Amino acid sequence: MVERESPIGPAYRPGSYGNLTGGPGFRLLELKPGSVVEVVAWPGSEATALAAISAVTGLALADTPGSGVATKTRSAFGFAPRKWLVIDQAEGTGAQLEAAMTSAAGSVTDLSHGRTVIRVSGPRVEWVLAKLFAIDFALAAFPMSAGRATAHHEVFAQIQRSGEQQFDIVVFRSFARSFWKTLCHLAEEVGCEVV
Amino acid sequence: MSPRRTSSGGRIDRDRSVRFTFDGRQLSGHPGDTLASALLASGVTLVGRSFKYHRPRGIFAAGADEPNALVTVLRDGVREPNIPATQIEIYDGLIAVSQNRWPSLAFDIGAVNGLAGGLISAGFYYKTFMGPVIGPLKGTRFWMFCEWFIRRAAGLGRADTAKDPWRYERMNAFCDVLVVGAGPAGIGAAKAAAASGKRVILAEMDPAIGGSAKWSGETIGGQQAADWASDTADELANQPNVRLLTRTTVWGYYDGNVLAAIERVADHRKVIGKGEPRHRHWVIRAGQVVLATGALERPLVFSGNDRPGVMLASATQRYAAEYGVLPGTSVAFFTNNDSAYAAAAALAKAGANVTAIVDVRSELSMPARALAQQAGAELLLGHAVTGTSGGRALAGVSVQRLTGGKPAGEARKLAVDCLGVSGGWSPVIHLASQAGQKPEWNDTLQAFMPPAPTQNWKGAGAFNGVFDTATVLADGRAAGEAASDARASRAKGPDVGAPALDAAPAPVFEIAGGKKAFVDLQHDVTADDVRLAHREGFVSVEHLKRYTTLGMATDQGKTSNVPGLAIMAAARGVSVPEVGATRFRAPYAPVSIGSIAAERAGDFAPDRLTPTHDWHVEHGARMYTVGLWHRPMIYGLPGETVEQAYVREARAVRGSVGLMDVSTLGKIAVKGPDAAIFLDRVYTNIFSTLPVGRARYGLMLREDGIAFDDGTTWRLGEHDFLMTTTTTGAGKVMQQLEYFLDVVWPDLRVSLTSVTDEWAGAAVAGPNARKVLEKAVAGIAVDDTALPFMGIVRGEIDGAPVVVCRLSFSGELAYEVYCGAGHGTHVWEALMAAGAPFGILPYGLEASGALRIEKGHVTGSEIDGRTTARDLHLDWMLSKKKPFVGSAVMDRGELNSVDRVRLVGVVSLDGRALNGGSHIVLDGSLEKLGESIGHVTAVCYSPALERYIGLALVRGGKARHGSRAFVSDPLRGRFGPVEIVSHHFFDPDGSRMHG
Repeated sequence: MVERESPIGPAYRPGSYGNLTGGPGFRLLELKPGSVVEVVAWPGSEATALAAISAVTGLALADTPGSGVATKTRSAFGFAPRKWLVIDQAEGTGAQLEAAMTSAAGSVTDLSHGRTVIRVSGPRVEWVLAKLFAIDFALAAFPMSAGRATAHHEVFAQIQRSGEQQFDIVVFRSFARSFWKTLCHLAEEVGCEVV
Repeated sequence: MSPRRTSSGGRIDRDRSVRFTFDGRQLSGHPGDTLASALLASGVTLVGRSFKYHRPRGIFAAGADEPNALVTVLRDGVREPNIPATQIEIYDGLIAVSQNRWPSLAFDIGAVNGLAGGLISAGFYYKTFMGPVIGPLKGTRFWMFCEWFIRRAAGLGRADTAKDPWRYERMNAFCDVLVVGAGPAGIGAAKAAAASGKRVILAEMDPAIGGSAKWSGETIGGQQAADWASDTADELANQPNVRLLTRTTVWGYYDGNVLAAIERVADHRKVIGKGEPRHRHWVIRAGQVVLATGALERPLVFSGNDRPGVMLASATQRYAAEYGVLPGTSVAFFTNNDSAYAAAAALAKAGANVTAIVDVRSELSMPARALAQQAGAELLLGHAVTGTSGGRALAGVSVQRLTGGKPAGEARKLAVDCLGVSGGWSPVIHLASQAGQKPEWNDTLQAFMPPAPTQNWKGAGAFNGVFDTATVLADGRAAGEAASDARASRAKGPDVGAPALDAAPAPVFEIAGGKKAFVDLQHDVTADDVRLAHREGFVSVEHLKRYTTLGMATDQGKTSNVPGLAIMAAARGVSVPEVGATRFRAPYAPVSIGSIAAERAGDFAPDRLTPTHDWHVEHGARMYTVGLWHRPMIYGLPGETVEQAYVREARAVRGSVGLMDVSTLGKIAVKGPDAAIFLDRVYTNIFSTLPVGRARYGLMLREDGIAFDDGTTWRLGEHDFLMTTTTTGAGKVMQQLEYFLDVVWPDLRVSLTSVTDEWAGAAVAGPNARKVLEKAVAGIAVDDTALPFMGIVRGEIDGAPVVVCRLSFSGELAYEVYCGAGHGTHVWEALMAAGAPFGILPYGLEASGALRIEKGHVTGSEIDGRTTARDLHLDWMLSKKKPFVGSAVMDRGELNSVDRVRLVGVVSLDGRALNGGSHIVLDGSLEKLGESIGHVTAVCYSPALERYIGLALVRGGKARHGSRAFVSDPLRGRFGPVEIVSHHFFDPDGSRMHG
């Protein structure tokens, strides 16, 4: 199998940068999952879609806005009414979901090449993300594993909370390098570690 | 030690010195000083020159209300003008210079304006620069001639043209309760809201919280108020649900309880930290807001009230108590209310000689009388200050008895170098005014009070017209509790030790008589100017403001508004509320443009890169941007011009084979049982009949019948389509299709997903394209039978799965090869390798443009939001078998008029290049404009025709084929003959791409 090329390219420079007096307050890591899949249910077929996601991934999602679940290797969250994003370290999840969903219930679209998942973490993660997005990152407002869809100017971003001080940001591949650089730039103030 | 520095007291660090310069003079102060307090401590009284008359001006206030002492700060090679000295915290190496003076502050030639004071009154420019009615300077030309001189003479600081080197950032914040202002009321509110568990933001424009507690000299809870404030600051800072934002001015109140604030992160430090912004623009979304913005003291209007040394009474107190600076050694006060008595006592306590308190009232409360006694000041009740003397510093004031409200009798001179004035207090209702109804006049306080809210805010403290600290603390707590939906606490508030002063002033704003009594110090508006406006009919508050410029400029009339309105009210013989007030607009105080632009400054748009971007750059591509995308323009060889490069690339395509990155084409996965029905509705032609494994070119119209976008859509499965759009149309097409599904046809079971980024696309074009594919693609045949025109096959290239569709934009035998974006470079390189024996060349947008112009294919240049399908000869695509978006109106007369411009080709007849955007005319010359019959949309040198050609939209369209016209481009100096021809320049029957 041909290996997938990362879109970050020369912008990927591992190490620590910026103001490191308090240690890096922000960490960046490209997750490179094997599968990123969008699942859409037609109105009334939400339960079928959730059952299909559960059958393929074992992730039991609640049918409430923005709710999500995550394990070490896979995660899923709702990002719009009747729409979910499934991220799996394993490849081929798209095909499995497609097999599990009939077109009478909804659609499955494989985005494994088209989306880049960037994991950001650290004690100042909420501070840095607040520079980009007009959404509330506080734990009470953005609970563990929950998902949000938002944008930074032209860059559409789907975000899942994957830890108390950790978020996974899904962006379009074509924007990934530019967005990565923006993250590095904005994190300089708190010290940035690229993993 | 400076003679003006008190021996003790103040919240400055006396153990350390800070060195700075003002107008080149080396001075020093202490950490905690503002530039204003440090200048006063150094004995500097003259700080600036006034706007119009260039009168000497000193420091008038101690906060954001400062109208006079505006300076320019020089930092990192950049000059920032018009900063109030009261708002600048000094740091080692600070360089400040005065403004609006030449050659120097002490000797300013512009001061000659003062002699012509009677002439340059309100409306001077309107009346004077009408312009002669005849002659070379007729009409507004005279104005324009004078403008240069006027602009140099008037105005304050000069803006810089150097690039701003600093970083600015935006922060989004969310909270349950935002408290604006951290004086005793704001502190009380924040503590109450925090205690009920709410997420609280407490914003304070000063460097430290405390507000008046920092300098009132009162006690709270048995402590000095200033100590209470700093203890409370520590307490609040340690609470996890409280965010303290100091040096932060909340300056705008917007819909949805969204407030804008600026945090001056690093202006007070010599060095800006690594990665640290200079300013942060905070966008705060608050559930509830508590406005505890306090009140501003008003001046009194009397002759000579602008002389350096005259300042607000509260400012004198603040300089003495907060900064340990005496603004004068011999001080008098002039007041219409009790608050100046506290200031007098504070000044005396700090060591000043308080000679007198002049009060327009003849009766006085006992507590005020006691304070006067403490100050050791002579009490001149029923008196007024009627004049001042001195040059660049105050030397003395004249005092007269008031009889029937008017000064009368012998004037008495008091030799003082500082006069504290107090004309009462105006609540700071600016933010409330942006989020409320009209302010309400209060006769007792002689002030406009907060309006009824139209958003979720509550007021507290002096903002509400409450002035004694015990009540202020209780009011703050109550507002905090109400904002938190918490039950009102019955606990007793802290004991407050403060004199029981009466906040109500006598309704006196101006001491009439004498000359040059200033209402607006910053814009040099006098009381006489206000009366002149009245005499000339500008009596509405809005007209008054514009005619006199009262309340304009950087301080937005913080000290001048109410006195100005009161003088107009007196002139009209009506009450102040009958005159009304202008609405305060954002920002409350000046805001750096950089902070609003924030991270967008210098980095306006993100870069959007294709999977093979790095390959293009490494192979010498000159990139340019199409929307946000970076696309190869040409792959130039050393020494080649753009034209030479694209002609070489295009010839390679026509002669053998070329490879182009088409990953930027918009791609939308259209899926679902109703996908075909949906496409039939949005495209002008039919897609439901398209077999699986085939593609079709489609055209979309807007609802108004104008052409919208085009592209091919591939049927990958029964319920699975891959729609392609133009590169620049992708976003708007997606939006429009989502709108249709969400709003117009919510019953359709269709999903739309942007898969632009999922697929890397490469166009293999040219007579040898098939041979390249045969070498590259494994596992599937690509001959004409297996892969006919518009057919789709799946295969593998060097181990990477690909989808290949045979379609052509260039007019050659061509294929688009799609693969997963992460395999994009891998597949591209494999195609280049397979094409090597055929001399394959990568080609860029310029070559692609030339090829498509030769073929007469349209793009966004022709689908420009004005043209119809028929204008572009795409009527063959308008299905008659079904309705579609736009079909209801596309047949209307105007859209089919013979006068409409239609697509044609143009050939340059003079052998020179054409310019896109040139007009097509039937006559005229380079000098003489002919009547335009259309315009050129796209141009190139055609390697196939070996001529300069173009596409154009021309009235009459096909009827003009074979006729002559001219291109007229006066802006670029191009005029020349063209022949109008068919837009199909090359291979009109399409034999090459079908071959």
